[in-house]
Amino acid sequence: MNEESTVVCRCEEITLKEIQGTIEKFNCSSREVKLRTRAGMGSCGGRTCRSTIDRLVEQMGGPVISNEVPLSYRPPVRPVSFGILGGAKE
Amino acid sequence: MKSYDVIVIGAGVIGSSVAYHLAKKGLEVALIEKGGIASGTSSRCDAVALICDKKPGIDTEIGFASIQLFKQLAKEFSVDFEFASRGSLYVCETEQELDIAKGYVSEQAKDGYDMRMVDRHELQQIEPYLADDLAGGIWTQVDSSMNPYKLCYAFVEEGRKLGLDVYDYHSVQNITLDVQGKVESVVTDRGTFKTKRIVNCAGVWSPKIAEMVGVHIPIRPRKGMVLISEKTPFKVASQKVHEFGYMLSKFEDIQFKRNVSELVEKHNVAFTIEPTDANNFLVGGHRAFKGYNISSEIEVVHAIAERAIRFLPKLKEINCIRAYAGVRPWVEDHLPIVSEVEEVPGFFIASGHEGDGISMAPITGRMVTQLIAGEPTDFNIDKLNFSRYKKANAV
Repeated sequence: MNEESTVVCRCEEITLKEIQGTIEKFNCSSREVKLRTRAGMGSCGGRTCRSTIDRLVEQMGGPVISNEVPLSYRPPVRPVSFGILGGAKE
Repeated sequence: MKSYDVIVIGAGVIGSSVAYHLAKKGLEVALIEKGGIASGTSSRCDAVALICDKKPGIDTEIGFASIQLFKQLAKEFSVDFEFASRGSLYVCETEQELDIAKGYVSEQAKDGYDMRMVDRHELQQIEPYLADDLAGGIWTQVDSSMNPYKLCYAFVEEGRKLGLDVYDYHSVQNITLDVQGKVESVVTDRGTFKTKRIVNCAGVWSPKIAEMVGVHIPIRPRKGMVLISEKTPFKVASQKVHEFGYMLSKFEDIQFKRNVSELVEKHNVAFTIEPTDANNFLVGGHRAFKGYNISSEIEVVHAIAERAIRFLPKLKEINCIRAYAGVRPWVEDHLPIVSEVEEVPGFFIASGHEGDGISMAPITGRMVTQLIAGEPTDFNIDKLNFSRYKKANAV
């Protein structure tokens, strides 16, 4: 597989290579991978790439922590305009 | 048993800065954190270092000094924390707000800070997407922004280069004192560390750490929700923009009632927006006492969005992609606690910065190091001494 052309996070366009490089360099949790690369922070809220990132961290031997919180789920379920949320009339 | 000159508890922005500054001083330092770096408040906040949201006096003085330190750190550090001096803009909705703002600005200007009033036309020139019926505002050039969790990573990585040991995913279970009542060791779920000095930088969780040595810290978690916009080609705000009413939501002693909906009033929501390096916008702001609960509340989401589109109508067309909440370490007098605790020699506190932790991180780290090294501090920080609460209780 070509790591440079394989996109893991489509929203933020983060490649497999960037994610692997971050895990390797910082030996870090999924959450830290997210914060450092922005993978999972785009418009789908990580719904596409979350499990891939979790698996990559697991495979590459990230920190062995039993109580690690996986990547969080945050509202809204899909993007909603500020107009709708704010009750705009028009 | 491993032994350290100083053990810092909590790897949020304050603990990371304190640990870095102590390591830079040449001390043997351990940073102990129950989760990962920046896993609490410092990754659930906004991202600015401002003077315009501080009260005149020591609050502003320290805030200003901290921004100068940020500029220096941004040059020195090899890790980028996205620091930028973009300025900030307060907007006043009514003539009445503008009058209060004028009084505030003249006080700050008298102290030598570069804050100035802008009229409604200038407001439109500075931020063209602002609603056209606003009365005016305050512009503060020195105000700056950064990425808060990258700042924590930067402090930790630069600290490591200087010999800092980081124990993340180590939960502090107990603190032991010697027969004289001085700090002796920190017990975690993964080992015990010997030390004569502890700095409690656990923010909203610092009362739990202090309880271990029988000290009561009057810090309460004050929740805040933030909405994130999608990336958009519209530069709806080119700097931090917030309504002057924000000051009213932050400081309970300012008596002024805004003309807002019941929902906005109920949830103590005041409009703020800031651009990020990733081209999203962070939209807030909200203050409430809900314990440690950081779940997103739909009513608050509605209130924040309602207030946001009132000031920036363009946002109606722009999507919100995410919402999150964090808890600020609130203290009644809105001044952080930066001092040793008299009753427990070797036990220091650097906490209670409420929403100013990012702003105040560099100067706090510097002054804690000065306290521990027995040097004079950059500022007279008697007002930040923990003993102020004892005196208040005695009265």
